[in-house]
Amino acid sequence: MTMSGSNTDSAPVVSLAGVTLCYRLAKLRTPSLKEYAIHWMRGVLSYEKLWALQGVDLCVRRRQRVGIVGRNGAGKSTLLKVVSGVLRPTQGTVSVKGHVAPILELGTGFDFELSGLENVYLNALLLGRSRTQIDEKRDEIIEFSGLADFIHSPIRNYSTGMLARLGFAIATAWVPDLLILDEVLSVGDARFVQRCESKLEEIREAGAAVILVSHDLSAVGRWCDRVLWLDAGRVRAEGQPDEVLARYIAAVEAG
Amino acid sequence: MIRQLYAYRDLIRTLVARELKVRYRRSAIGFLWTMLQPLLTMLVLQLVFATIFRFDLANYAVYALSGILFWNFFSQGITASMNSLRGNAPLISKLPVPKAVFPIATVLAGVVNLILALVPLFAILLVTGHPLRPAILFLPVSIALAALFTLGAGLLLSPLAVFFHDVVELVAVTLTLLMYMTPVFYPMSIVPERLRWLIRFNPIRSVLEVFRDPIYYGKIPPLSHISVTCGIVVVVLLLGAAFFRRSSDRIPLYV
Repeated sequence: MTMSGSNTDSAPVVSLAGVTLCYRLAKLRTPSLKEYAIHWMRGVLSYEKLWALQGVDLCVRRRQRVGIVGRNGAGKSTLLKVVSGVLRPTQGTVSVKGHVAPILELGTGFDFELSGLENVYLNALLLGRSRTQIDEKRDEIIEFSGLADFIHSPIRNYSTGMLARLGFAIATAWVPDLLILDEVLSVGDARFVQRCESKLEEIREAGAAVILVSHDLSAVGRWCDRVLWLDAGRVRAEGQPDEVLARYIAAVEAG
Repeated sequence: MIRQLYAYRDLIRTLVARELKVRYRRSAIGFLWTMLQPLLTMLVLQLVFATIFRFDLANYAVYALSGILFWNFFSQGITASMNSLRGNAPLISKLPVPKAVFPIATVLAGVVNLILALVPLFAILLVTGHPLRPAILFLPVSIALAALFTLGAGLLLSPLAVFFHDVVELVAVTLTLLMYMTPVFYPMSIVPERLRWLIRFNPIRSVLEVFRDPIYYGKIPPLSHISVTCGIVVVVLLLGAAFFRRSSDRIPLYV
């Protein structure tokens, strides 16, 4: 990657405008084709609409670190899925420039029957990397994960911490244009978290934008440049971490 | 869609390898079974139809076995495609992978199984002294057509299986019915005149005969027949791809 000039630096990596996402839940809660056909013929097909996101705007530029906070069910994970391209919004536009590395859960796509090394390939391929790219980075990944001695044994024998290390090593082996982390730093011991944070910093300095969801508010406050507070699918506040977090904490304490 | 899938070709290859490995890793039995299962079915059919009911067919074993191999490939391909989206639900709901890689990898793994299952077929050809003509070289084209046809059906049905839980059972019942409507193990000549149109207009029969002609009759199928079959395959594939694409955004909401 070349050093980007100020022009490309200020161009947003992610921009969301008026993003709305509506889950259509069948009211009769019977996802069976037979009943669907019957209800359809009788014209009694109805849905309950669940608005997971409503009119969300978001703009993230290179090297920015944006934290997202909110209660359970506020739409944080849905927002990350929209940004990473897993879900398409019902309304509004999403534009993401470049390569996205979403870690919505460490080790998504691990196959427990395969060895650590086989999983390095499978996982990185799922993240959109090519075999040649993985060949280049595999030693680095193994080294960062610290699992060189176990890399040929099946990962069903790994501990949670080992899986987390491997997953994180794979996802951060390349500098993406956007890195998305959902509660990822809450696993693993203090040393692992520290290594993750310095790795994140390294990736950010190389030009990546980072979006982070966490319930660990002190980590968000310490590490993010900007915080977005989601409440019932809407942006309740956005701005300086101290300010937004203080308002969020006050609201949570007020119930 | 095709360009995106091309970018994920390494992933498709890895998924195919994984599927085969899971099938054959446990023991040599898995590998042998691929070859033995159609042979045993053939023996049963041979016993029932060539001895008891007496079809007027030279070398019934080859006729039946080629039919069974085709039918197993087709029906297992459809069933496995339907399960492939559900089986990979954690990936589909967390990573922006093109969802079509899963049914594609499944059908490709089926092609490998079919090729392995050709080994006992050729053994039977040799043992029974069935003439092997140069037309056998047309078989790869037949297999390609069968694979694209199966993929089209799989793309059409796999999103439905995600949206409605009873689709897998409905398809299983339909497949049984379709098997009797396709000359898999009986010759067209035993079908009563007034019902013959029903079988003749069954598109699966066309694809089957393009597969069976080079093996059993030792001839390349007539050009008219090849053209009709190509037409059928293109229509099914386009329908399947269009429906899959249309439902693609909703798949992660339901898996």
